[in-house]
Amino acid sequence: MRPTGIWFDSYASEARVLETRRSRVWLLILLAFLVCVPLAAGPWLLGEMTHLFITLIAVYGLFVTVGMAGQINIAQSAFVGVGAFATAKLSGMGLPFWLVVPAAALVTGCVSVLFALPAARVRGFYLALTTLAAQVMFPIVILALPMSWLGGLVGMPVTPPSLFGLSLATPTGFYYLGLGFAVIAAWMAFNLPRSRFGRALRAVHDNDTAAGVLGIPVTRIKIESFFAGALFAGVAGAILAYFLQFVTVSSFTLFTSVWYLGMLIVGGIHSPLGPILGVVFITLVQEGLHSVANALLQSGAAIGGGAVFALSSVALAICILVALIFEPRGLAHLWHSAMTGFRLWPFPRT
Amino acid sequence: MINFLQILIEGALVGLVYGLVAISFVVIYRASRIINLAQGEVLVFGAFMLWTFTEGAAGLGFPIPLPVALLLTLAGCTVFGMVIERTIFRPLIGQSAFTIFMAGVALLILLRGLAQLIWGAESRSAPVILPEGAIEIGPFLVNTRLLIGAIFTVALTQALHLFFTKSRLGLRLAAVAEDHTTALSLGVSVRQAIGVAWVLGTVVATAAAVVLLSGSILSLEVAVIGFKALPVALLGGLESIRGAPLAGLLIGIFEALASAYLDPLTNGAASGVLPYAVMIAVLLIRPYGLFGWRKIERL
Repeated sequence: MRPTGIWFDSYASEARVLETRRSRVWLLILLAFLVCVPLAAGPWLLGEMTHLFITLIAVYGLFVTVGMAGQINIAQSAFVGVGAFATAKLSGMGLPFWLVVPAAALVTGCVSVLFALPAARVRGFYLALTTLAAQVMFPIVILALPMSWLGGLVGMPVTPPSLFGLSLATPTGFYYLGLGFAVIAAWMAFNLPRSRFGRALRAVHDNDTAAGVLGIPVTRIKIESFFAGALFAGVAGAILAYFLQFVTVSSFTLFTSVWYLGMLIVGGIHSPLGPILGVVFITLVQEGLHSVANALLQSGAAIGGGAVFALSSVALAICILVALIFEPRGLAHLWHSAMTGFRLWPFPRT
Repeated sequence: MINFLQILIEGALVGLVYGLVAISFVVIYRASRIINLAQGEVLVFGAFMLWTFTEGAAGLGFPIPLPVALLLTLAGCTVFGMVIERTIFRPLIGQSAFTIFMAGVALLILLRGLAQLIWGAESRSAPVILPEGAIEIGPFLVNTRLLIGAIFTVALTQALHLFFTKSRLGLRLAAVAEDHTTALSLGVSVRQAIGVAWVLGTVVATAAAVVLLSGSILSLEVAVIGFKALPVALLGGLESIRGAPLAGLLIGIFEALASAYLDPLTNGAASGVLPYAVMIAVLLIRPYGLFGWRKIERL
């Protein structure tokens, strides 16, 4: 809800994502803050932030497929993996950085279309099962291919990125790389619901029979939603590959896919703000658990690294279940209602 | 030729174990319209419970006789199924397929994490319940454990089929599988149905764990069997109890053949990919499976 005293005199101003000058100023302050972070932060924090940005890009991909189009995709991590392996292979062949990222995204998109094709015949969780097949088949196929193709069990090294003769392979470089692409991803996601394609996705999500009656090519839109989501995953995979400098199959498991989905659900699947809130919240919870576990370890308690992983899975599962049962619209809805309450204060919110 | 037939027999027996796990999927779906992705984890939970009451209790100095241990495990599974129904799926009755699917995914990582927290990640030896060894029938060797499991699977299939098609409770469950809202308006208790579904599902999964693991290694990785049984359940048709073992036979035999004849050529990938390739093919060609209900939802 808007505060009183704000009205629009043109369609363009009403259609804006950031309606008021104040919100634009806040965004600029946030961006300036994010750009300035490397001046003060150490390499550990920069690494964590870069990881957060990469996750955010992948989750924005899920937002397009799952949140906008309503097609369950439980293979996002495998798609990120496809992007990462494509990056490793292409950068190994000597392609420059600015060519590798879009190429990796395209490769990932094409692979995802392969698994979205059953959308022509099935829907609901039957479609989700084909993405599950993609996730399970991904490591089997990579491991079975000859070592010289994609590295097999060992994995593949990635040539460090450079742009205009400037090496990006420093913590600060990776940070800006992740930040840049995350901002682009967020910008696209915020604008998507206003576009023709976004409205078609939303129509398919709400009722695909009705969408078909309205003249929307439902099957094509569903496949395109997978393709679009996988483009994000491909970009995330490319940056992740450069960041890790070495890709192996074991980084792209079903569990990572579940984490991505969990972040989206906890954040709120219907709002472009959801991925940001979800990724930040889940990362904070995870880091909190890690530091608690580390403190316990130092005090001499007998817990292993496996227990920490188990504990964070349990925490994530409880977060997802609580979100599903009590607040299906996620943190984004809580945020919006808190903002509305703040604006209306001291009057009660109806 | 004898070699070929031996491969067929082994594939068929393993396939029937897949069929048994697939039945636990089908039972839950058939009674509550929930595809439970966490079925592999449920199986592992049942297996760990059995281990606790046999080897675990013996290790602590309280040896429990095997029949009592089996009964205790059965009681544990019942309680476990009811807890899952009460805490997770009852609040979600009538929600969209997406919500139910995600609850299943959350359950998967929840159970995986809990199992690791309670029992630890190390692998241990599972209790020996079915006799080990092999019997010779003519020129063929047949694994006794798998043979007993296969006979058990066939008997259980027939019993469950009768339950779902002849008994009053079973028919009510079928109404719930059709549509929650319609079932509610007809006076069928969806809560009761989901409760029954989960208790049956966990018990069948634990039975599958007994057949699968008796005398071998028990670890968290065993849960992968859940993802192997999912294509089987889909091929048989998610509503068909009798379809599951048949589809299990098919997939088991094809997997055995692929691992014998195609794996040397493909670096071991053929038998691993095969069930999922079958799954995608089934979804493309005959989405309701061999014996499932034809519904509009799967166009």
